[in-house]
Order: sequence, then structure tokens, then C-alpha cells
Amino acid sequence: MTEIMRPGGALGNRPLHFFWIVDCSGSMIEDRIAAVNHAITTVLPSMREAAEEEADAQVLIHILKFSDSAAWITPAPVPLESFEWTNMDADQGALTSMGKAFELLAGQLTIPPMTERALPPVLVLLSDGQPTDDYKPPLEKLLNLPWGTKAVRVAIAIGKGADVGVLQEFTGNGELVLQANSPEELVKMIRWTSTIIKPVSNPPSRGIDEAAGESNVALNTASIPRSGGTAMDVW
Amino acid sequence: MNEQLQPGAVLTSQCGAQYTVEKFLGDGAQGEVYDVTCGGRHYALKWYYPHVAILAQKKALEELLRRGSPDSRFLWPQDLLSGGGDLGYIMPLRPSRYKGINALLKRRVEPSFAALSRAVYNMTQAYEKLHAEGLCYRDISRGNVFFDPDTGDVLICDTDNVSPSGTYDSLINGTPRFMAPEIVRGEARPSRETDLFSLAVLMFYMLMVAHPLEGQLEANIRCLDTPAMNQLFGTAPVFIYDPNNDSNRPVPGYHDNAIVFWNTVYPQQLKDLFTRSFTTGLCAVNQRVTEKEWLRALANLISGIFRCPNCGCELFYDETKEDHVCWNCGLAIRKPPALAIGKDRIVLWRNAKVYAHHVRGDFDITTILGSAVANPHDPQQRGIRNDSADNWVYIRPDGTKTILPPGRSAAIAPGAKIDFGQAVGEFL
Repeated sequence: MTEIMRPGGALGNRPLHFFWIVDCSGSMIEDRIAAVNHAITTVLPSMREAAEEEADAQVLIHILKFSDSAAWITPAPVPLESFEWTNMDADQGALTSMGKAFELLAGQLTIPPMTERALPPVLVLLSDGQPTDDYKPPLEKLLNLPWGTKAVRVAIAIGKGADVGVLQEFTGNGELVLQANSPEELVKMIRWTSTIIKPVSNPPSRGIDEAAGESNVALNTASIPRSGGTAMDVW
Repeated sequence: MNEQLQPGAVLTSQCGAQYTVEKFLGDGAQGEVYDVTCGGRHYALKWYYPHVAILAQKKALEELLRRGSPDSRFLWPQDLLSGGGDLGYIMPLRPSRYKGINALLKRRVEPSFAALSRAVYNMTQAYEKLHAEGLCYRDISRGNVFFDPDTGDVLICDTDNVSPSGTYDSLINGTPRFMAPEIVRGEARPSRETDLFSLAVLMFYMLMVAHPLEGQLEANIRCLDTPAMNQLFGTAPVFIYDPNNDSNRPVPGYHDNAIVFWNTVYPQQLKDLFTRSFTTGLCAVNQRVTEKEWLRALANLISGIFRCPNCGCELFYDETKEDHVCWNCGLAIRKPPALAIGKDRIVLWRNAKVYAHHVRGDFDITTILGSAVANPHDPQQRGIRNDSADNWVYIRPDGTKTILPPGRSAAIAPGAKIDFGQAVGEFL
């Protein structure tokens, strides 16, 4: 039996709900969805490692896919330490029901099932196209929910065909629409979004120019990897 | 996250040394840290993000290099790399035996109370040396201090924001949860006094595995984001054990550590300092607990450790209590014998030591001047051996005196005294 050195347990923490919302429409078929699968499985180990360092958060993963409709891949949130990515497939010829995804998200961010006490949720939307449904009412509903307002919302535009305007409506901040023009860039962007766990759970040093409370989470946007910009749209 | 430098890249410093990038180690708000080598030796390189690599930061680093480290426990800048809009500095690489405070809070490292108390002591002493030079650290937080869980040795990194106290030339205001309330409210800039607040928060975290201002008011908050933190730690802070305000008591289920450590482990002397830090010290900047007050209390904490005779757990001597209750097995223990030197108390446990600090008041708790020993002719009889180079005088309860030369021991007996020369100790 190991000797008990000190009483008590680990520092009390709060749940940090981390959502990946993945476009699985027809245009994502083969290369692009494969790049998403590759990028997330590449980033997961370092994300787990980083989360292990965070004493204030218990990271819970939610995966939502949308194509002709939208569906939860994770029926219940999965703790990051035991989470394993299951490769996703895009659906041949399927539509981009982003509105339906927003609707499911809004349902999940309502109390209950959302916990009363948490850290700001992180929503990462990955898409390569334009919504084919009427996304505006569900998006508005999502953004008007208390947890929707408080959520850190980031989008990754995959390739040049993504509707950056819609993604910006989702994030509410042009800086948080990240452009990924190649599988390598996608890895970098997904890696950056995984680091949001840290400023959400344990905010870093505040600079003298940062007004207190200007935004609800201080993100280090200076560290967002640069996209190739005019680089080839190679997939 | 950008990993601005690639392994194999060679960078030339201001003094002409060539550093080869070995690997990326981590990143923070201001830049990235790399393992680099020069002449076969490893160093750490902090490489700033372009928007941080500005002239003011470079000047601050040059000043730190010129000044030199106030204490060996700081991983101080030792070489500068700059040019073409880039900026970085070289510092010693932290050995792997040093663990971060988050590992402590997640209970992935489990130090003894003795090692932990020493770590807190060493950290406080390092900051005291820095403050004594008129400097302030500006960003005392969980991320900057590392400790050896076996020995309590400490290293402090991120020294690049250090600058003279009260000046406005630093780029950093501090870290949420650690910043003094007046900084959170935007009413003040970092100073030694705001460092003292952050230091008290960090000590509380290390000793209690909890935040001193996170109780019922934190539990009431649904989304703990920046505005919520600004309220809890800036505009409406309340100490969880404020004797005059019970609105923010720890909540069972959420703040169990605060409850168990505060109520069953630490002595009143230490709790009084925390109470002052987070009640009057919240607003009255000049009434914050000073480094030396902390060091005296922490030295006392260290010399007050003894073990439960039943389960062997470490317990802290509390001057204000007659009976002590073991936090682990619940055994009630009569107040153990102690040696009182001024306000200090040394519990006369098997391994008790009289440190130089107890006699000279010089905060040296490594130099041993005396040790608790057993009489070789009668192991039941305990005594104090003179390990110093000076003669002591043993004064029996009846007033008779005997010289106690180095190497000799005198019996522990209630009412007897030892005159150490610079101080007199009395057995309680």
C-alpha cells in the first residue's frame, strides 16, 4: 500500500465541452474527409498531453457530422483521455445541412443536457462548402443561447470553396475563420484549435494592452498558423 | 504553435555564440521555448512572437543581462539574440527533476509536507531576494515555478518581465486568478505589493490545492470566463474563510481540498497570514503579508512537522492547540514537546533540527546547529546535541548551568533552557 502523503484530491475542475462539427457533404468525399481524419488523429496525442497539464478543466469531446442531415457521432460526451477518433466518411452526393447541425448544437448547449456549471465551450466547425439549408434561424438560436454566446467559436475553411461569410457569421470574428488549403495546413489549424483548451481553462498572462473583460476568453490569435494564401488548392 | 524555428537552425547571439535549435519545448502568450545547444551544452531559448519582439522588450532584456540574477533559483537571461525584427534570449535549461505546479494540483506528484513546505519556503525566499533589489516579477503564477518533489528545491522561469518595482515599462500585467484585485480592476500596475498578493495565491494553491477566492461565489457562476473571473478576483473578491463574511465559504463537492486542508491540517499561525492576505490585504496594499513574515511562519511550519504515532502521517504543530488530531487516522495526540526560541517552535520529534535561522534569525534553514538525539546509555532519554562550533549553556529547571560544548548533548526536560549565545530556547 502506498503511503498517504497528504489528504484531499486533485484541484476541483469544471467540464470543458469541446465540439468538432464536421462537414461530411459530397464535396468532402475521399481526399478531404481523409485529410480531416488524418489531421484529428495526428493532433489528438498532443491535445491529450496538453489537457493533462490543465488542472482546471475536464475536457469532454463531442463530434457532430452534417451532410443531408446532421447527427451526433458521440451520443454522449467522451472524456478526452479515453476518446478515440473513428474515421468519418463523406456521403456521396450529399447536401450541406449546416443549419441542421446548428439546430442539434443548440439543443446540446441548452441546460439540460448541458451542465449548469462549466467552462466556456469550444465549437470548431470544419466545412468546405456552402450551406444548402436555411441555416440562419438555427444559427441565430444557437448564438442567442447563454452557452452559445459564451462559447469560443472557431471555423476552419477547407479549401477555397468554403463560404467564409457563413463561417464568419458563426464565429462572429473574421480572425477565427482559419483557412486550410492543404492537408498539412489542416493539421496545423486543427492543432491550433486544440490549444484553445489552455486559455479557456487557465488564462495566460495578460498584457498591459489587453483590456480586462473585453472578450470572454483571451485567445492567442497571434499564434494562428499562417495559411499559404495564394498557394495551390491541392487535395 | 507556429513553431517558428526548425530543428537544426543555427542562431548567432549578440556575444557571437552559435546556438543550434534541437527541439520545440512549448509555447506561451509571448513566444515559444526551444531546447538549443552551444558547445555541446543544452540551454533553453525563448523566442518571441513577432508582435512581442519590440524594442521595449529588448531593452528590458539588456537591462536584466547587465544586472545579473538576484538568486540562483531564477532561470535568468544569459545571452541575447536579436536582429531583423527577431528577438530571443538564452537561459539555463530546467532539469527534469523539477515538476510544475499543475502536476502538484493534479496530484501527479505527491511530495511530503516537509518537501512541499520547503518548496514554498524556497520560492518565497527567491522572490524576497528579487524584491530586495527593488525589482518586481509581475507575473507570479502556477506556470512559472517548478519544484523538486523530493527535496523542495525550486526554479523560477519566465524572468523576462522582471523590472524595477513601480515602473511602467513591462508588457505584462499578470495572470488571471493571480493578479492583485487592483490590477484586475485596472487601477494599478504591477509592483512588489501586487507580487505579494500573487505570491500568497500561489502559496495557497500549493499548500491547500485550492484557490483562496473560489468558494460559494464561484460555485454560483455557470460559465467561468473572463468577466466572471474579473468579478471573482477583481471587483467583488471574498476570501473563502473570511471571518467576517461567510458568503464565499467552500462548497462540499466542489471545494473539498480547501475544507480539509484548512480545517484539519495547517496551524493557526499560517492560517492567520492567509486570512490577512485575503481580507485586509485585498484592499490595503501596504498591509499585505511581507516575504519575511511568510518566511518566519514557513520556517516554523517546517520545524513543526511531526508524525502521527499511529499511522505515521506528517502533522503540523499548532501552538494554539492542546490536542492535535491526525488528519488521516483521527488519533488524538497530546501536544508534543517543543523547544521555544522566541516565537519559533521546534517540535522535538525524532529528526528535529535546530537550524541557524532559529538561533540567528537569518532565514538559513539548511545549516544545522543542533539535532534531537537519544542518550546512548538510555535510549528512552532524548536530548539536543550541539552540532555548532560554539559552546552553549544548558540551564536546568532549578537554574543550575552547565557548559554544553560542540558534540555534547543535553536532556530535553520541561522548563530547562539552552542559551545558544544569540538566543535562548526553552523546552515546553
